[in-house]
This record gives sequence, structure tokens and C-alpha cells, in this order.
Amino acid sequence: MKLCDICGKKEATLVVRQLDKEGKATDLNVCAECAKKRGLTGVEECEPDSGAVIAELKSRMEESDSKVICPRCGMSFAEFKRAGRLGCADCYQAFTEKLKPIIRRLHGAVQHIGKTANQGRKRAQERLEIQRLRAELEKAIKQEDYEKAAALRDRLKRRGDETDS
Amino acid sequence: MKLTPEKVGTWLSSSGPDSDVVISTRVRFARNLIDVPFVVRMKQFEQELVLETVRWALADIGFLKQGRFFEEEMLAEPDGLYFVERHLASLDLITSKTRKGLFVSEDETVSLMVNEEDHIRFQVLASGFDFVTAFGKAAELDEKLEGQLAYAFSPEFGFLTSCPTNVGTALRVSVFLHLPGLVLTKEIERVLRGAYALGLLVRGVFGEGTESRANLFQISNRRTLGQSEAEIVEVVSSVCRQIVDYEHKARQFLMHNLRVEVEDKVFRSLGLLRGARIISTEEATDLLAMVRFGVALGIINELRLAEVTQLLILVRPANLQAVLGEKLRGDEQDERRATFIREKLVR
Repeated sequence: MKLCDICGKKEATLVVRQLDKEGKATDLNVCAECAKKRGLTGVEECEPDSGAVIAELKSRMEESDSKVICPRCGMSFAEFKRAGRLGCADCYQAFTEKLKPIIRRLHGAVQHIGKTANQGRKRAQERLEIQRLRAELEKAIKQEDYEKAAALRDRLKRRGDETDS
Repeated sequence: MKLTPEKVGTWLSSSGPDSDVVISTRVRFARNLIDVPFVVRMKQFEQELVLETVRWALADIGFLKQGRFFEEEMLAEPDGLYFVERHLASLDLITSKTRKGLFVSEDETVSLMVNEEDHIRFQVLASGFDFVTAFGKAAELDEKLEGQLAYAFSPEFGFLTSCPTNVGTALRVSVFLHLPGLVLTKEIERVLRGAYALGLLVRGVFGEGTESRANLFQISNRRTLGQSEAEIVEVVSSVCRQIVDYEHKARQFLMHNLRVEVEDKVFRSLGLLRGARIISTEEATDLLAMVRFGVALGIINELRLAEVTQLLILVRPANLQAVLGEKLRGDEQDERRATFIREKLVR
């Protein structure tokens, strides 16, 4: 038990750090009574009210969550947090930064491994489209419609068709 | 559309591998259509659109002919509970206000829900411990449906689902286990905690949360993203393999060391079922499960595993009423349930 440096009688409950002009610190042990007499109170008032701070932070976060909105379905991230369900496929893109930590916590990963959707079908569609354009191009050349043929040739080139026929 | 309630799904036939311990294996995929909002944000015309689109897709791949497609009137409460009790639909589907549909294959091993939490959720059930059949059939259906429908997918997050807990493969695989040996030897806690630590989800089949009735448990994967479909199946399968082996050991231990005590439990359960004049669903479930244990151990020889397993479903309220072809009040139900069970167990 440390005694008060001022009265030397009572138990010191505060440490008051004083800095002199050169910045050298001197610690003073003070009891509650002497602290009050010397106007050294206000310690309690200074202590942050943790409940209020958390509430404040929470409300600020909620405010920011309600500002993150999916452009397609209009759902806000705050709404998602309340309901636990996303509004549409685009929400994943719109909320990506906020969702990633959640997804990581749930799955321990943020990158899909496994089956990919529609890849086979997309390629098949692409091939069909190229075939269709080639047929049209041949027809245009036969009909000597060179303007149309050139346009078709350009479209085929854009689709990555190297066999310029 | 007529139901055939007395005919239960073939996944309850107890004919698959390790059927003494594993009642069934289930594989479920969740899928959403691209260009339509998820279920919580759908307007009515979009709900109808999805319903029609999926129905066409099922017709195009020849699936509609292999089963039945149920809609609103059949799925509303209380009648819809019939499908929930049979593990063919979720309670969420039945209680939701959206336009919805349910496809059920003739043998009740395949079911597909439309507009539940996701646009499409389909599952394949197989008897016993059988991922080869369940996963094979589910993957095949997925391929066929994908030829007809465009799914919401991103290279980063995989198949996009309404809830991030399902995103990625959107695959949930589970095994429906009967573990009386581990419960009686008090090893169950340790085993289930171990399964959880290995990344699996454990819950009771009947009752809320992890509380289990009748020593029936469901074990499934927790993660759906960051692991391939094959890895997910492998993890659940290998952990369940160990649990099955452990259950077998526990049963051997019980038969060697506590045979009379086990026989007492089994025959008391059978006696109660054969003697009761009033019985609740819960009591019937507990007793039937103990009788099932007795049949699996060879203590009871006059009953077959399949018929006892099937009774677990048939005694549930909506199914009981469907089988009896009558609407019954609660107290009438308990009485009729007792009579129904007595008639089934008489030898």
C-alpha cells in the first residue's frame, strides 16, 4: 500500500504525472481526498464510456452499410445483414469487400475451386455463332455483297476466328 | 395429383451399404438462374417465370415423366408437411408465401424445390452409405439441367446463392446416421465433437438444433467454397466411414459385455409399441429406433430393418393421416398411431 505523497496519511489511489519544462516526468501518489482538494479530480469523467463508443461506432458502421447498395436489385448491405439473404447475383459484386471477410470466416477461403458453370455451353454457343457467321460470309461473297462480307469478316476477327476465309 | 403414401422412398429400403448404421446418403445442389433476382427480391411474375422455366427444363430433359411436379395447393400447410416428413421438401418451402414448386421422382430418391431459399435446390437420396449413387445421380441431373438453364456463377465465388453459407460449389452432402451404440457407450459426444473439429456439421435429425431424438444424427459439410465437389464428398465420406466403424465397435462391445441390458431395452421398446393404445410421434420415434437397433443386432429376427425404418416416417402426423386417408385431431392421431403401429408389428 502506498501512502499519499501530499498528506502522507491515507492510501494513495491516484498517480498524477507531472511534466516539468524539460519534459521530465515526476509521479505523485495521491489519495482521493487530497486529489479532490487540489482539483485533481475528473479522472472518472475522462474515462471513455465504452458502451456509448461502441454504440456510436455501430451506428456509423450501419450508416455506411446502408450506403453500400447493389445497383441491380437495390439491396443495401445493412439489409443483407438483417435478413442474411442477398437480393441478386450482382450483390456479390456490389458487396464484395464487405462480403469477403464473412465468406472467409464461413468457408476459410474466398476463391471457388470446383465445377465451373456453363463453360462448355458457352464454348458450344460460341462455335455455333462462328459457324453461322462463316456461312453468312460465304453467302455474301457469292452474292458479291463485299460491303457485308467485310463487316462479317470483321465480326469473325473480333470473335477470334483466325481462319479468314 | 394422387400421392402413394403407403409406398415410401426407396432410399428408406435399408438395402444400401452399412444400412445397419447409415439410413441414407443425401447430396444437394443449390442453383440460381442468371438475370432473375434471388427469392427475397423476386416479384410475383418472376416467381412464376422461374417456376415455368424450371418445369420446362425438367420436361425437356425427360425428367417430368419420371416423377410428379407439385404446386401451390399440394404444398400449402398442413398437407405440404407430408413432403417435409418424407425429407423431400423443407419446412421453409411449405411455409413460404412465394409461388413455388416441388418435383419428386417416382421412387422418391430425387426431389427438386423451386423458389425455396434459392431458385432451384435439388437433392438425391440413396439407401445406406452410398455416395457413388447419390453424387453420381445428382451430378448427372446438374449437367442435364445446365444444358437447359443459365446459372448465376462467378469465377471467384462459384455458384452464387442467396445465402453466402452455400456459395461456391453450393453442394451439401450429408449422411443420416443411427448411432445407438455410441450413445449407449457414452462415446457420442466425443465423436460428434471430433466430426465438428474436422469441419463437419452435426445435428439431430428430429428435434431442434443439435438435440437428437432416437439416436438419429445428420452429418454434413460446413464449407461449400474453397473445396472441390470431390473433396467435399471425400471429407464427409471418410469421417463418416470412421464413425460407422466406431459404431460397429461400440455395438460389439455392448453385445459382449452388456447383452442383457441391451436386450432389455430393445424388448421393452417392442413391448411398449405392441401394447400401447395411445402414442405420440416422439415416443413412437424413440421406441422404433430402439427396435431398429435390435433388428440390426439380430436380437429381433421377426422384423425387417426396412419396415422398421419406414415406420419412422409413416408414424409422423401428416404421413399417418395420408396413409389412413383421414384428417385427425391430435388426440385421435395418437390413438390411431398406436393402432397402426400394433398392426404393423404384429407377427
